Amino acid sequence: MAESVIGKRIPKVDSREKVTGQAVYAGDMRMPGMYYGKVVRCWEHAHAKVKKLDFSAALKVPGVVKIIGPDDVTKKPYNTTVMKLLVPEIFGEVFGEIADLNIFNRVVKHQGDAICGVIARTEEAAERAAAKIKVTYEPLPVYMTVEASKAEGKKKNGYLFTPLKPGNLAFDLPESFFPGKRYGWNDKDGKTAEQLFSKCDYIIEDTFYVPKQKQCQMENHSYVAHYDERNRLNIWTSTQMPKPVQVLIAELFELPLTRVRLTQTTVGGGFGVRLGMIGEPHACAMAMAVPGHPVRMEFLREEDWVASETRYPGHIWLKMGFKKDGTPVAVDAMYSARKGGYYTHGSGPPFCAAAFLHGMYKWQALGMQTEGYFTNEVPTGAYRGYGNPQITFAAEQMITKMCNELGLDEIEWRKKWHKSIGDETWLKGVTFASDGLNDCLDVAAKEFGWYEKKKKYAKQTGVKRRGIGLAVMQHTSGAFPMLLEHSVCTAKLNEDCTVELIQQISDLGTGGHTVITQMAAETLGFPMEDIHLKSGDSDMCGFDIGAHASRTIYCAGPATIEACESVKKQLLERAAQLLEANVADLEMKDKIISVKGNPQKSISAVKIAKEGVYNYIDAATGKTIGIPGQIQGYSSFFAKHCSPPYGACMSEVEVDIETGEVKVLNLVNGHDIGKAIHPPSVEGQLEGGAQQGLGFVLTEEYAYDSKGRVLNNDFTDYKMLGPSDMPKAKIILVETAPDPIGPMGVKSCGESALMGPIGSVANAVYDAIGIQIKEAPITPEKVLKAIKEQGLRK
Amino acid sequence: MKKRAITLTINGEEYSLNVPVHHTLLQVLRDHLNLTDVKYGCGRGECGACTVLLDVGKGKRKPILACIALAATMDGKSITTAAGLSKDGTLHPVQKAFVDESAIQCGFCTPGMVLKSVSILEKNSKPTEEEIRFGLEGNICRCTGYAKIVTAVQAASKKMAAGKR
Repeated sequence: MAESVIGKRIPKVDSREKVTGQAVYAGDMRMPGMYYGKVVRCWEHAHAKVKKLDFSAALKVPGVVKIIGPDDVTKKPYNTTVMKLLVPEIFGEVFGEIADLNIFNRVVKHQGDAICGVIARTEEAAERAAAKIKVTYEPLPVYMTVEASKAEGKKKNGYLFTPLKPGNLAFDLPESFFPGKRYGWNDKDGKTAEQLFSKCDYIIEDTFYVPKQKQCQMENHSYVAHYDERNRLNIWTSTQMPKPVQVLIAELFELPLTRVRLTQTTVGGGFGVRLGMIGEPHACAMAMAVPGHPVRMEFLREEDWVASETRYPGHIWLKMGFKKDGTPVAVDAMYSARKGGYYTHGSGPPFCAAAFLHGMYKWQALGMQTEGYFTNEVPTGAYRGYGNPQITFAAEQMITKMCNELGLDEIEWRKKWHKSIGDETWLKGVTFASDGLNDCLDVAAKEFGWYEKKKKYAKQTGVKRRGIGLAVMQHTSGAFPMLLEHSVCTAKLNEDCTVELIQQISDLGTGGHTVITQMAAETLGFPMEDIHLKSGDSDMCGFDIGAHASRTIYCAGPATIEACESVKKQLLERAAQLLEANVADLEMKDKIISVKGNPQKSISAVKIAKEGVYNYIDAATGKTIGIPGQIQGYSSFFAKHCSPPYGACMSEVEVDIETGEVKVLNLVNGHDIGKAIHPPSVEGQLEGGAQQGLGFVLTEEYAYDSKGRVLNNDFTDYKMLGPSDMPKAKIILVETAPDPIGPMGVKSCGESALMGPIGSVANAVYDAIGIQIKEAPITPEKVLKAIKEQGLRK
Repeated sequence: MKKRAITLTINGEEYSLNVPVHHTLLQVLRDHLNLTDVKYGCGRGECGACTVLLDVGKGKRKPILACIALAATMDGKSITTAAGLSKDGTLHPVQKAFVDESAIQCGFCTPGMVLKSVSILEKNSKPTEEEIRFGLEGNICRCTGYAKIVTAVQAASKKMAAGKR
């Protein structure tokens, strides 16, 4: 039998094409007769009315084919997200989902709103013409904070952003579904968290700020759209959610699915930014304006900052009550978010922040509210972690402070009080099936030297002070039962006994294509080279919800396995018939099917596959040779559980008390993966996620001027940690708690990587200087200000 | 539109081109010649996705950023891109190390990152980890946290040293 590839450090299936630069991203597409599209955006204002649009000068630019404005495209409003496909309609109504965006807009709600589109024979002509379009604006006041938006909404008792949301309140948790507008639970006597505080010995309360962070995927958003001679709308895009985006495009342009073909190209990073539509509606609208000509549209980097979604920034208030021995009693919380100019994911990420608070510790009662107000900022949407980084930054700082003040060992407290097997996860009705957190804590503490360092850094003086911090987390593997988790796989057995997997697997660089191929090879017992995954073409692939919620291996892997098991079963059944044996007595090894214990009685699977396709007539007997029919396995798999992974991360920092600079020296992250099918990919997720987590906690945030214009829409002024800034990071894959439900024991890893670094670095700064910095990112200015105001620990 | 005739050697192949004087090397490579292994990431010399190696004579090469180099100034020059690093289907040791160490995720920064790594090793065959990390500055990766990229450069350094012996 082919040697098992599970858990092996093999090269990824797509690495060779990427290392030679031959992988084709959407921006690399070149087609005959191709035109170039350019969206004209509002750069001057964050809130304004378009009074006049003048195309006359632009139309004179040589090479211009057509210019289209708000009146030339569908006026149907839309929402960028795929959320409405993921939940039943009733939930959308409960949460108040709305469609409030137009392809081209007459009211600008944030800098970067699209005004019109130019189609030209060259990219340069499109850009020159775009610069010559005269837009006359009537500027409106900008609202950049929750307070300003709320006050203005109240004052007029009306709306600034959409009549569908009075008072500028984009969302909160509806009373009809969430008593007290809170997500959580009451204690066994029905008492709410608020009611339990009177029974607590120790109460802490604080407000934290979480930043507006950008995904910064390296590939710019690019598209080629083509309305072809069969009246089909074709689009090539690097979306994360190919199937749902195909459906959204079909709905927006009122076309049946047979007339919309979406091809997912190689994806140059996602991290959530491509979780819905970005430039697809504009590219398609331009292509439909020039039927027969493909239109290529590529964002400039600076456009990405203003025209695609970001993390939800805002304030998180937490009140926690404990018994004096540390027994957690009650937590009450509120996440008040700045929504940006459009509804997009609505309450999604803040609700999930509440959900991840829900999934972590054994409180007697818990309640969390969320709200979001529209602001004249770039809209918020999905970003890796989806609410969890925000709540972890706040909650893990509170837990550490409580342990310090009650004199408890914070590792032991977390071991004792985290939710475990049988407890409810982040979502009601779904319980943990496996728990590797204590092992994560133990291996991380040993590798990090937690207790030694704790002693060593206890009493520090001097300019540079070291500190250590810990944070734990749980996340999710797919989003059942909140969201639909459906994946379809067809495994086609070729006549040479190799297999084509036809399955939409959205690999954002995460290794999904490699792992799915490994899983197929393992299931069939075939070498990996004999499996080829065909993905990306909506004309060919069955349904798949896409890459979100760290779901791919956990939710789509079972479809692959089921389809391959079916192929294997059909091969064995035919062999049983041909060998006159029972299926149960057969085994397949190196594509030879034989009777167990009687290897002489055997038949080649290659022969069965070949005869299934080339079912010729034997001239001598007049009968067909072998058993007819090409073998195919099929699965339409619905995940019916969610198995959250846990993680424990420890960080060591050095804080310069004169400059306020925080340097991360060392980071150890133990991750409860269950089973690592491709260990380098899991490590890669955790190493790369650390860079984004450290950015969240130390350096990354949008800066705006007083008119609501982004000041740092480039890689110089928006600081991400570079190769020389990154600390030594030790990733430990903990496989002591394989999940009984996850395929081959797996739990997820994609989004999990950010939370530990965020919480542990915040706690390490607190340990170093004795002051909690409650606003992320923890910049030198904030550190110095805090030291000045609160004084250093004696 | 003012143009200038230039001769540019790309991956050993000579091209006679008539380039608009305001076009960047990146535009010429990607849009005129369809050499899309050189990537557009930021257009202002901040991310390194468009890195190519410029031949500076005596067998030496240095990394330049195609998005901020004017093509018209490249007359008579010779450059190497990621596609030109591999010869007859054999990967350059740095490319091989990136594959073996799984130093590639989305792959968008990879061509530039590989070329930058080659330039580090051509200048200093045994760089320390710190030298590698500082050498890679200017090339941004948002997927890997750089850990496996640094490991790959170290692995390539060892392999190349062993190969010379």
